[in-house]
Parts: sequence; structure tokens; C-alpha cells
Amino acid sequence: MPDSSAVEQLQERYKDRMGGALGQPMPVAAVTSNTVPWELLRAAGFFPVLLSPPAGPTTHADAYMEDVFDARSRGIFERFLSGEWAFIDTLVIPRTSEQEHKLFLYLREVARQEPERKLPRVLLYNLPHARSAEARIYGLERTRELIEALPPALSGSLEAAIAEGNAARHALRSILDLRSSRLSGAKALPLIGAFYFMDRAEYAALAARAARELAGLPALQGPRLLVKGAALPHPHLHAAIESHGAIVACEDDWWGSRAAGEDIREDIDPLEAIFEKYYLDEPSPRVFPPSAAEAWFLQALSAVDGVVFYIPPEDDVFGWDYPRLRDLLDRRNIPHLLVSADASPATLSAEWHARIDEFVLGIKR
Amino acid sequence: MAERQLRCTTAASEHQKTWFAELRRDVFEHRKPYAIVQADMPLELFQVMRVPVVSNQWWGAIVAAKRLAPYYLDRMNEAGYHDGLCRYCSLSLATSLVGDPDQAPWGGLPRPALVAARLTCDCIQRIFSAWGEVFGSEFVALDAPGATDLPPRWWELSRHRWTELFEGHRLDFMVAQFQRLIAALERITGERFDENQLHALMEGVNRQEELFEEVRELICSAPRTPVRMHEQVANVMAAQWVRGSEWAVQHARAFRDEVKARVDEGIAACPGERLRLMWVGAGLWHDTDFYTAFEERFGAVFVWSMYLAFGPDGYIRYGLDDPLKALASRTVSMNEQLHNPPWANEWIVDQALRHHIDAALVLRPLGTRPSATGNLFIERALKKAGIAVLPIYADMVDARGWDPAAMRCTVEGFLEKLSARK
Repeated sequence: MPDSSAVEQLQERYKDRMGGALGQPMPVAAVTSNTVPWELLRAAGFFPVLLSPPAGPTTHADAYMEDVFDARSRGIFERFLSGEWAFIDTLVIPRTSEQEHKLFLYLREVARQEPERKLPRVLLYNLPHARSAEARIYGLERTRELIEALPPALSGSLEAAIAEGNAARHALRSILDLRSSRLSGAKALPLIGAFYFMDRAEYAALAARAARELAGLPALQGPRLLVKGAALPHPHLHAAIESHGAIVACEDDWWGSRAAGEDIREDIDPLEAIFEKYYLDEPSPRVFPPSAAEAWFLQALSAVDGVVFYIPPEDDVFGWDYPRLRDLLDRRNIPHLLVSADASPATLSAEWHARIDEFVLGIKR
Repeated sequence: MAERQLRCTTAASEHQKTWFAELRRDVFEHRKPYAIVQADMPLELFQVMRVPVVSNQWWGAIVAAKRLAPYYLDRMNEAGYHDGLCRYCSLSLATSLVGDPDQAPWGGLPRPALVAARLTCDCIQRIFSAWGEVFGSEFVALDAPGATDLPPRWWELSRHRWTELFEGHRLDFMVAQFQRLIAALERITGERFDENQLHALMEGVNRQEELFEEVRELICSAPRTPVRMHEQVANVMAAQWVRGSEWAVQHARAFRDEVKARVDEGIAACPGERLRLMWVGAGLWHDTDFYTAFEERFGAVFVWSMYLAFGPDGYIRYGLDDPLKALASRTVSMNEQLHNPPWANEWIVDQALRHHIDAALVLRPLGTRPSATGNLFIERALKKAGIAVLPIYADMVDARGWDPAAMRCTVEGFLEKLSARK
């Protein structure tokens, strides 16, 4: 990879995830998932940031939170209780997973029982993910309600935020385009993931520059794989797979190939346009029915040589889809591998590397 | 099988067996429709449309009580479903995926006309989608927005002020979804939904739950509990699955009468009662004998579980001008009421104090996430109220990791200390 300041800056933002928010003169609004409209928070005068806690002890959270919570929810809860994230003004949690709703309830309860703690204002964005006429009406009403719960936006600021977000998506897509030929998955994920942690006007400029800088990379060789399963807020699994000569060309994951999606329409009512984007185009474990949830995956299969399913031990969702999707791939003669180890540490075990190696070699043969 | 002290308990058990045999006959011989549903669905709509329902959790409990859960869950794991997935909500699906009607209780589940669930936990839509696929049955899903406003002492508002307690937007959304479910039921049965019948049924539910409230009060006020917990559960749940029906109200009345007679005659479930215990969480369906295992040595009697106590507080709705909305209010927040702060911890402490509970055994489910949350808040609140707490790590249907002797030993150690302090 060339020594590029734009690439390095994006990598740095991906690594130092709260760094951009910490130095902000604007109030910070945090979100727990991709399904909270960034544009609404931006228009309301916030610096929006996605919460993605690093691994670490969770002594404060452990007093209230049972073992069944995933590491990400526990890590978020921990950092609010410890006071590390006391600079966050508002937290918006979407109804995008059951764990997030519980996180909302737990934070409210700690605030109720221990009013002396400095906790952010917490809002639940009740965005439904079932595709039904009633859910659509309900979701649009909740989006209106979310706007009303935020500080009033200046005239034209919503349109400006949509334009800013779309420009960032456009630049992000230019990075994604490089994955078809020159950019490995492990190197792409940080450049994509920085989208969630920084000012999007700045991201648009940096990502566009980074794409130009990366355009001269040599073409990659090797089987092209798709990663499907639990969300991956780190590139460790990709790095492990690619160390065996394969290329992770895409992943059904909002931390990767599905980060940008479609632009928000600029030719209709901005609120409706924002709602449509987040209701219909953002991945979520609760998208229903399966035909809607899996449309992207099924389409992406045509451009890959194999699939790696990632189901870490803490999973309680994707494991339900796996047997059916595995059988579907078998019917289509698409090779697949299940990785059921936790890939969040920087290294997978030698045993898992051997399995990956065998899988990649099998495809090459 | 624990001893049955009440005639009602035998009647409830026999009713359920007969009911299921009739259901199978109606489905196989007369092609009548029935539905498989999640327990927190508006069962009243199915009753009004005369579509019998098998609740996912009820069937799972039957399978577990027959000690068949390990067999089915092993087969699920072999099919590629990993062993960290929720078991309580999927054991019944396992019986359908594995097939093998000779092995299944009572001949197994026949093909339903539809399956239906609220999308609470993220796994539910997947479990019921798979179920619908196995049977080739329609899946009606009701989305479940989260509660955002939760006044702690919800049971003081739920009967008369339910419109404000459960948030208008959530009720309206649920009613809109009910209309889609009703349309599906009309399509299946060829009959029209009658809101007046729902109104009458809702009145029946109120009568039934008022009778259960009388039983609850009898247990609270009697010097020693007149009815063991597992018999409370058997009688209450047999009625709850068909709540508001003539049989359910009659059974609730018979149950109340029998418990009252026992109190009047000074009959205790355990004459040597010295410690009153509370079971927090879903039932330990694969080892119900556990609930009577500590009576002889310690006089420790399980007096309380959510199954009886939740009936009056969770189901009664007064002011039925809009019965669909009242039904929605019964449906939208069951998980928050039973398993999440602040509602679960506040309610359970209130119940513990009313029932003069000495100690609570709190189930920490190993393989079931929806009911595994809120427990630490509950335990903290109980301890703060002066009630001893013992967490029980177990799965409610999966006996594979359960060591009955070791667990009894653990509880005995806990009760020894408790007895010494008392």
C-alpha cells in the first residue's frame, strides 16, 4: 500500500474511534447501530458518533448485566457506568436488536436507581424492521418523534445533512469499488469503518483521496470470498483469511460492503427520505421477512468463489440462519466454511488457520 | 412426578390431554385449522375465531417433562444449529424439524394452518420462519416496539389506566397488526371476526383472573400455603391457554373453591412449613420434583411463581369499550413486565413482601436469552428488601447440563444457613 496520508488518516480514525468526538466543540450524540439516522443528529447540531468499545474489563457493567449480553453491549454499558464516556450528551439506541432495547432499559434503570451518576440523555428510536404497511407507518411516526426529541434544526439543515451524508456514501462507494480488483478486505475495512466515527464532510474528502491513492495498487490474485454472519467491527478475520491467499471481496455487514448502500433521496420530503433509507436499506438482525433480509447476500453470491460463515460463540441470532443458508450453498455448489471461533482477538488459533488454509486450497484446486 | 394434592390439578391435566387428542382428531379427520403461536400472542383473537392454539412454550414444557428435550436438542445440534442458541423457544420447533411422531409426546404436532409470533427476541422471527417452512404454513409476525416509558409500579396502573401505561403509539401499532392477524384468521376459517364476542371473552378473562387473585390472596394470608407452586402452575396455565372461555372460568372457580376450602379447614400443602420460597423465572420443566424436594428436611415450600401471580396483575383490564386496544395492552409489554427493569424487579419485590417470602431462588437460564435478562436487578432488589437469594444456573427445558443431586445439595446448603438465621 502506498504511504498515503488520506489512507493513514482514515486508518487512524478507525483505530481511535472516539478521538473525533472527544475534541468536538459540538455536543456529541452517540448511537449504538447503523440504523439511527446520522442526518437527524447532524441537523440538530450534534457531532454523531457510533459507539464501538474496545475489549477490556467490565467490572461496573458486570454488577447489573447478565452473561447473556454480547461483548459490544456490555462494553458500551461499562463505559457509561465508569464515566469514561461522560462527555456524551445524548445517546440514541435503535430497536435494531433485542440487546439494544435491553441496554436502553438498563441505562434507564441505573439512572433511576442512582441519580447521582452522570449518564447521557437516552432515547429509544423505535424503528421496526418488519416489512409491513403498519410497520412503515409506525416507523415514519417514530422518526418524526425522534426529530421532535432533538434540539430544533435550523432551516435547510436537514437537506444539508442529507447532502453531506450522500457525499460521504459516494466516496465510500469509490473505496468499495476497489475491492473488485485491488484492495484486500483487511485493508478496506478500516477505510470503510471510519465513516461511522468522523465528520462526514471530512470523510468524503479523505475517502475520495484515498481511493485515488489506492487506484494504482497491483491487481489481487486469489479466490474471492464473501463473509456472512455476525457483525465484524475489526479486520482480524479478514486478515486471517487473506493470509492464506484468498481475497475477502465483500461481506454482508454494515461494517463493510453494506456501509454505504443507496443514497438518501433528495427529491422528496427529507424526513420521509431519511426514514426510507434507514427502514429499507440498512442491515439489521431484525429485518423480516428473510427474503428481504437475505436479498443482498443472494445477489452477491454470483460474484464470489466461496463463502465464510462467521458465527462466534456469543451468537444467538445468525446461528438460526446458518443451516438453511449452508444447504442453499450446497445446492448451488458454492464452497463454504464455518468459523465458529471468536475472531476479535488479533489471532485465530493454529487449528482455525489450518481449516481456513484447507478451505482456500480446496477452492484453488 | 410430584404429588397432586388438589382434585383440580388432576382435572386440569386430564383436560389438557383430552383437548390435545381432540385437536389432533379435528385436524386429521375433519381438516379443521389450528395454530402454533408464541405464548405472548393475543390468544383471545384465536378463541373468538374458534382456531385452537398450541403455545410454543406449553409444548416445549410437555416435551421437557417427558424428558425428551436432550434427544431433540441433540438432533438440532447435529443439523447445524449450534448449542448456544435459545432452547426454550426452539424445543418445540425441534420436534417438528426432527419429525419422528412415534417419539413425540401424544403423537406430535400436526400441520397448523398458521404459525404466529411477536417479534420480541431477534431469534423469534427465525424460529417461526423455520417452523412455517417445515409445515408449509403461513407465518403471521407482529412487530414488537420497545417500551420507552415505564412507571415502576406498573401493576397499580394496569387495570384501569392501561391506555396511559402502555403508550398510545404502541397500542395503536399493535391494534393495526391485530387487524392483519384477524384477516388471516378470517381467511383460514371463512368466518367473520365479531368484536362483540371479543368483548364478552375479555369480560370472561377478567372474571377468571379475579378468581386467581382470590387464590393469590388466600396464599398470602393463610398461615401456611394451601397449595404448592407446581399445582398453582398446572391449574393456572391450563386455564390461561383458553382464558376467558367457559371452561377456563369454571376451572378457575373450582380452583379457588378448593383452595379456599383447604384454608378454611386449616389444610397446608406442607404441614411442617417453616420457610416460604419464591421461584423467579420460567418453570424447571424437566425436573418439577425439584419444587417439593426441600419440604421434608427444611419445611421449605415454594409458595410463589409468576404463573399465578401474573394473572391478576398482567391480564385484568377494566374499561373494555375498545376491546382490541385493551387486548393490545395485555400483549405489548409482557416481556418488560416479567423480565426487565424496572418493571420486573419492582413487581417481584412487591410480590415477595406480600407473600412473606423468606428466600428467592432465581433462575439464571443458560440457554434462553429473553428471560435471562433483568435477573441481576431482581436479585439486587430482593436482597435490598431483606430477602435471601440463591441464583440457579439451569435451562428450563434442557436437562443435559442439569445435575439434580448436585443442585439439591447446593440448595440444601443455602437453606441450612437460612434456617440457622431464622
